[in-house]
Amino acid sequence: MDNNNKETALVGNIQKFSTEDGPGIRTTVFLKGCPLKCRWCHNPEMIDPGQQLIQAPSKCIKCGSCIKNCPQHCIEAVDGEIHIDRAKCDMCLECANGCYAKAINAVAKPMTVEEIMKIVAQDYDFYGDNGGMTLSGGEMLMHGDFAEKLIEAAAEKGINVCLDTSGFAAEELVMRLASKPNVTNILYDMKCIDDEKHKEYTGVSNERILSNLRKLAAVPELNAKIQMRMPLIKGVNDSDEIIEKTIEFYKENGLTKVTLLEYHTLGVGKSRNIGEVPHEFESPGEERLLSIKESMEKEGIEVELVGSLNEPASE
Amino acid sequence: MMTDRVARLKDRFLDAKPTITTERLVLATEGYKKYAGDETPIFRAEVFAHVLENLEVRIRDDELIVGAMSKAIREAEIFPEYQSTEWFLEEMDFFETRERDKLYISDEDKKIAVKILDEYWRGKSLFDEVGDLLDDDAQYALDHDIISLGVRRAPSTETVPNYKKLLQIGLNGYIKECQDKLDSTIGDTKEKQEQILFWKACIIACKGVITLATRYADRAAEMAEAEKDEKRKAELLRISENCRNVPANQPRNFYEALQAIWFIHLAFHIEVPAHACSFGRFDQIVYPYMEKDKEANTFDKDECQEILECFFIKCNELVKIRDHWTATAFSGFPMWAILMIGGQDIHGNDATNELSYMCLTAGEDTKTAQPVLAMRVHQGTPQDLMDQATKMVQAGMATPGFFNDDVAIPIVKLKGGTDEEALDWNIVGCTQPHPGGGCSDGTPDAGYVNLAKVLELVLHNGVDPATGRQIGLKTGDPADFTCKEDIMAACKEQIEYLYQMIIKNHKIVQCAHMLKLPVIFASLTMDGCIENGKSVQEGGTKYNSNGLFATGPANVADSLVAIENLIFKEKAMTLPEFVEILDNNYEGNEILRQKVLNTYPKVGNDDEYVDNIEYEILTYCVDATQPYKDARGGNFDFTLMSQTMNVVQGAVVGATPDGRLAGEPVNDNASPMMGRDVSGPTATVNSIGRLGQTRFKDGALFNLRFDPRGIEGEKGLETIQNVIKTYFKNGGQHIQVNVVNDDTLRDAQAHPERHRGLLVRVAGYMAYFTELDEVVQDAIISRTAHLSPELGCGGCGCGGTM
Repeated sequence: MDNNNKETALVGNIQKFSTEDGPGIRTTVFLKGCPLKCRWCHNPEMIDPGQQLIQAPSKCIKCGSCIKNCPQHCIEAVDGEIHIDRAKCDMCLECANGCYAKAINAVAKPMTVEEIMKIVAQDYDFYGDNGGMTLSGGEMLMHGDFAEKLIEAAAEKGINVCLDTSGFAAEELVMRLASKPNVTNILYDMKCIDDEKHKEYTGVSNERILSNLRKLAAVPELNAKIQMRMPLIKGVNDSDEIIEKTIEFYKENGLTKVTLLEYHTLGVGKSRNIGEVPHEFESPGEERLLSIKESMEKEGIEVELVGSLNEPASE
Repeated sequence: MMTDRVARLKDRFLDAKPTITTERLVLATEGYKKYAGDETPIFRAEVFAHVLENLEVRIRDDELIVGAMSKAIREAEIFPEYQSTEWFLEEMDFFETRERDKLYISDEDKKIAVKILDEYWRGKSLFDEVGDLLDDDAQYALDHDIISLGVRRAPSTETVPNYKKLLQIGLNGYIKECQDKLDSTIGDTKEKQEQILFWKACIIACKGVITLATRYADRAAEMAEAEKDEKRKAELLRISENCRNVPANQPRNFYEALQAIWFIHLAFHIEVPAHACSFGRFDQIVYPYMEKDKEANTFDKDECQEILECFFIKCNELVKIRDHWTATAFSGFPMWAILMIGGQDIHGNDATNELSYMCLTAGEDTKTAQPVLAMRVHQGTPQDLMDQATKMVQAGMATPGFFNDDVAIPIVKLKGGTDEEALDWNIVGCTQPHPGGGCSDGTPDAGYVNLAKVLELVLHNGVDPATGRQIGLKTGDPADFTCKEDIMAACKEQIEYLYQMIIKNHKIVQCAHMLKLPVIFASLTMDGCIENGKSVQEGGTKYNSNGLFATGPANVADSLVAIENLIFKEKAMTLPEFVEILDNNYEGNEILRQKVLNTYPKVGNDDEYVDNIEYEILTYCVDATQPYKDARGGNFDFTLMSQTMNVVQGAVVGATPDGRLAGEPVNDNASPMMGRDVSGPTATVNSIGRLGQTRFKDGALFNLRFDPRGIEGEKGLETIQNVIKTYFKNGGQHIQVNVVNDDTLRDAQAHPERHRGLLVRVAGYMAYFTELDEVVQDAIISRTAHLSPELGCGGCGCGGTM
């Protein structure tokens, strides 16, 4: 976990008024770097633990500053579009610094705990009893010590913390952070209970993830913090068999709260903008999601659906 | 759920097109000819009474609350004594085709209007008269939208009468009060003679309104006679009984109380081209009459709810004619008929009652623009009321607006209100807090200063670059400015100069109102006028005030930060070089424009530095307005509110240093510049809370729009309430929350017919989105939709930029 023991971490964004990342009104800190490579990832720019460039072609005013400013000469215009030769790029960020239209940007910014907490504290008044800070990513557990310092700094300011994690980390770290008194919520991902598929689509085995989850779930006060999150992708992890096995696992471990996240394509453009070829998937569809929800509810699991199912504005 | 009757009334209203009619013009012109020569107040009252005695009585199918201004609903009457005949005749052929607030007129009415206006009214309006009194500079500044000068096309109106007393003693009680005054006063001084004339005029006006109601009583009885349907017959008989009793006497029940209020409200609009006539603390005023029903064991909640909803629909019948300029600055046919609920009583206890909830339900059911629901919020506001209100907001109804007792009460005390009047505070106008109880004159719009133009003048040493005319003060050659503070000092001088220009000319307008057009009926309903024997226009009420406004302070703050960084810190160019680029609308300098737009801090993102600059600019506005007195000895109150004046005044300002292009709207009301509050609503709320709103005696109007996806369900309710509460805790006075998404709005632009009921709050009043023109629609759409997936879905950090 190479981001450990540093004064700063690469922060992709500090998003205020996050209402989907744990209870209440929250500020979500996105830490860059993830040991998983989920093909459907909607934050693909947050996977690589190092700095990256991300483009926003619609903002480009075609001024050519980036081409002029690049000391490596790795940017060129092809048919009016900016192309970066990422193999040659040494991440000096001259292009981004000179792009006033914000069409080329550094994905993340190195920040200290103090810098992050200053921004998080700005919304203190909104947090109320339930809200607070959420640590997300990437995988926040890749920044173990840094994350711990953030949690402790939040405790000093009376701010609750929610961990948004895949659970892919050393057991000791997972238990240590989860046990912090001001860590009130844990959003724990269940990408796929089938290990073969898990390996195929995320690049890692789910063994460690499930074992950490069992450990957490076995401690009642930690179990109470857990909200399972399941991204649902058609043909990947929405089969009856997988859902049944997942429900079984939940029941065995006394996990009773689940959020179903419908696959959406908002990450696809971002893949392209960091120079990668995006994988495209499909949502299981409303009908399937509702039937999954129903089958879980039948087993006494509390299920919420998040995604694009929401009704349009009422009139 | 609306009853079938209410649904039919609603449909009829939605189908009605705003139209100009000549009925009042014909009657008033008769009156003007008949009573010419009488002393002014008597003359004014006689003309008013003449209209009331002759206006056709119309009871429409299904109506439970009766009293109409014109033959069809949404017909606007002509008031030539205020509105200039010249512009009427000039614009007559364009009302139907203009971009904003289209008005239809039949060929026949057009012929009548042209004939009467041309033969009798040329040069006689207030607008014509005061126009001749203004000096050259003021006229130029007005013509070029550098300032505005209100109440030249209408009286201040903004009448929030003492409805409690009006119901308690009826108009007969007011007649008696005036008669007692007359009986005990000898006219041995000019002042006493004037008082005597005023009291006599009041009696004429009251009798006129009672006559109108009696004519309705007679007509309803006649109709009942002829009615075959037994149910309707009974309704008509009840209507007849009601109109026989009110507004002359105290209502005997809830139904009569609403009928009484409607007649009085209607009369305000027949007397003058009124707007912003509010119902005050409606739940407090009317609840005692619901209690009467309960005591008499006649209370039927469903029936009361239906009557209330009929009353709500009725409020939407009234529209007024505005000229092209005014319709642009205040678009969407606003009438600002505020109906306030909740808050504290005069002992500081929560005042919420059953009727408070019923008013919300009526708003929820009818979904009409009028009345504008306003809810007072304090520590003790019941959670149930808050829940019902936020559920309405969540459903995209954009109503009620929320008002903070903790800010309004100190503001009212700052205005001189007593503790009791402060606890009983009331909105007068749109969002402005005033002493409660019907003793506070409206907040006439004295005028707006175009702050973005102020900065432009500063950058051109007082010259308007649009024409080359020296219109502002010579505040120094921009080449000599060495720091941001130099520019701010120059802004301060220009701001003082322009507000003085407004104040001086506003006093001229006020005097014209006093001498020529005192408003009799509306005055007598407000506490102090009968006692003092003076109209509102002459300073009759206990509290007299005027509103002074400003547009574009966020653009000025954003611009100053841009100049400070670009010119004084980075020394990227000289200030005159930058000014030249601005004069050329950034042409050939798009890179620079992107730089100022995207690099330097902007108001609305919880950045203390830039927010504090806006605070400072607003300090100049407060200092340039609130210490001064009007022609009546009344106060000037500053308010941070633009309505859609930000479109009008933005149109005349060239490119600004913050990256805004020439002619684009400036920021609306207290909100940040559109599209620049990119850090989420909590940051915006923190920024706006930082502006020191208790200093503004007329408060600040703040719009916040959420994407519905971000605030759904139970959690969404909590989220909205949390935002409102935090804004209030941080010193916000008013917040209105729009919950619609861009797709709906774009679809409404393309297919207005599919969204004719779509309400959007435009700056303090509600409007039907589809009735706004494209520029205003675009302005609403471009206000950042917090949480919309286009800008970053819940939690993914889209864009990933810092």
